[in-house]
Amino acid sequence: MRILVVEDEPTLAGQLADALTDAGYAVDRADNGLDAHFLGDTEPFDAVVLDLGLPQMDGLTVLGKWRSAGRTMPVLILTARDDWHQKVAGIDAGADDYLTKPFHMAELLARLRALIRRAGGHASALLACGPLSLDTRSGQLTDDGRPVSLTSHEYRLLAYFMHHPGKVISRTELTEHLYAQDFDRDSNTIEVFVGRLRKKLPEGMIETVRGLGYRLVAPA
Amino acid sequence: MTATPPVPARPAMHRSLRLRLLAGSLVWILAAVAITGVLLADLFGQHVRERVDAELHGHLDQLTALFEIAPDGTATLRMPLSDPRLSRPYAGLYWQVDGGPAGTIGLLRSRSLWDTALSVPPDTLADGEVHVHDVDGPDASRVRLMERLIRPAEQPDTAYRLIVALDTRQIHEPVEEFATLLAIALGVLALGLGAAAVLQVGIGLAPLGRMRQALGAVRDGHTRRLEGDYPREVQPLVDELNTLLAHDEAMVERARTQAGNLAHAVKTPLTILANAARNDPSELARLVDEQVGDARRQVDYHLARARAAVAVQQPGLRTPLRPVLDGLIRVMRRLHAERDLHIAMADVADTLACRGDAQDLQEILGNLLDNACKWAARQVSITAATADGQLVVHIDDDGPGLDEAQRSAVLARGVRADEHTPGSGLGLAIAHELARVYGGDLRLDISPLGGLRATLTMPSA
Repeated sequence: MRILVVEDEPTLAGQLADALTDAGYAVDRADNGLDAHFLGDTEPFDAVVLDLGLPQMDGLTVLGKWRSAGRTMPVLILTARDDWHQKVAGIDAGADDYLTKPFHMAELLARLRALIRRAGGHASALLACGPLSLDTRSGQLTDDGRPVSLTSHEYRLLAYFMHHPGKVISRTELTEHLYAQDFDRDSNTIEVFVGRLRKKLPEGMIETVRGLGYRLVAPA
Repeated sequence: MTATPPVPARPAMHRSLRLRLLAGSLVWILAAVAITGVLLADLFGQHVRERVDAELHGHLDQLTALFEIAPDGTATLRMPLSDPRLSRPYAGLYWQVDGGPAGTIGLLRSRSLWDTALSVPPDTLADGEVHVHDVDGPDASRVRLMERLIRPAEQPDTAYRLIVALDTRQIHEPVEEFATLLAIALGVLALGLGAAAVLQVGIGLAPLGRMRQALGAVRDGHTRRLEGDYPREVQPLVDELNTLLAHDEAMVERARTQAGNLAHAVKTPLTILANAARNDPSELARLVDEQVGDARRQVDYHLARARAAVAVQQPGLRTPLRPVLDGLIRVMRRLHAERDLHIAMADVADTLACRGDAQDLQEILGNLLDNACKWAARQVSITAATADGQLVVHIDDDGPGLDEAQRSAVLARGVRADEHTPGSGLGLAIAHELARVYGGDLRLDISPLGGLRATLTMPSA
């Protein structure tokens, strides 16, 4: 899952990026409205954490531009102002959630998780596919009730599959959603991780669709 | 709203410009008409008296011309005087000749004197001189008489007083008649002028009336500025008022921007501090975390208070309730999307509006709704109505509610009903304070849904 963090205060942006990376997300950063707009408009993010007070172009304008251009990724607004009229303006501009500074990082993570999950059409924090069950809150995978331990890279990969079960996912899409922009996209890492993940899952759950990519399917 | 201080009792004249203008014009109209009336009546009286004197003089001249001494030495008239009144008893016009060798009173008399004679006051007249007297006449009347002393050539030693007299009623009657007509005419004129004055004052003051209505519309929040064109004399005042209104708005906006900037300036470092501390197990980190939480509540509370302070500086605004609730419900559905909440708004009429700023109403209702959504198990319900010029909004939830002690404590400053949900309790206290600033109120009760019922009253508009 790839997240765009838009925050002009470098220390806070760093903390956010660290916390999100620790939680298994790929993180891109922007520290002004113009860069933020460009990134969000051209890269496929699974969610955006958007500060409102930004240099060059304010957060609400950036959000409005994304939405009118048809970008539907969930956006969590982060702001120091907790006036309700600001929240109404934010939500009406197309925000999906709203968090006021100072906030607890745990709450931010929980809300982001929920946003991504709802964006994929999942009502519960527990994602299931066949015998597999992934708890997005704890990051715990179980296979038929037995816990399976995953590395953070494997977790990211599996989480993306679990959010889109049955859908054919290209290697490019996986790269775009699992790694930040500065990642070297020509490498074979995706194939390596898919291979490792396959060994931990029941036989045949990750299918290779020749020429198109991969698909997570529940065993018949 | 703040109560209007009692206006000290002053005379009605000082309070009403209309009354002052009217009283001024009416006094002048009455004075001018009265003086004109007196002068005209006097002038006419003088004219009538002059006419009468001329007439008497004519009769006296005729009498003098007809008077002769007969060959036997008695005084007589060559022929009767021409005026027919002289031969009708008490007809008002008389003549008489006094004197002669024996100094007889009423030696010769007109028939109109009948059996009386005019008693002429003693007088010394030079020959040919004419004197005028007002004396008692016949038939209980007053007469104006004119006399002349002559000594006929036949009897150079004998003096004769030739007298003609006219009843003064003949002078007074036309004067009185004229005075009556004059009074009626002048009365009509005064009424006309008075009506014109009333009309003029009405038309002249109409722009002020319009201005008052425009101000009323501003106060009730229907418009933000005094609208329309006013006469040159009033327009500067209207412009000044509009400038003042714009200045007020700009000041409130500036204050809010400042508050926002302050929030941003303080809260971002607080967030960084808190996040840095949370990853550190030391005692210092625990202290920082705790103090950051405290600082956040303080900043929130005092920013809300700053908002309340500027709220009263603005002249009344009108905010429709429905759009505010719609916007807030959209926000609540997002913010509490994880919980399967049913937020129901019973038919809130589009006409419901409160007197106050939209942002402040959003702040109050936002805090109340957020609190209800935070604690509700499944249901939040919103109803609104007007009663006695007040807008009454009920916000109910089916959560755990608060007991009586908690309900009163939660509205008091800075006290938190539950420290575990960030900022809880503070929202209700802020809503309470803002509502009070507007002359409204916030009451907490037990909801029919089982949880808390927040009842907000605000002045209706």
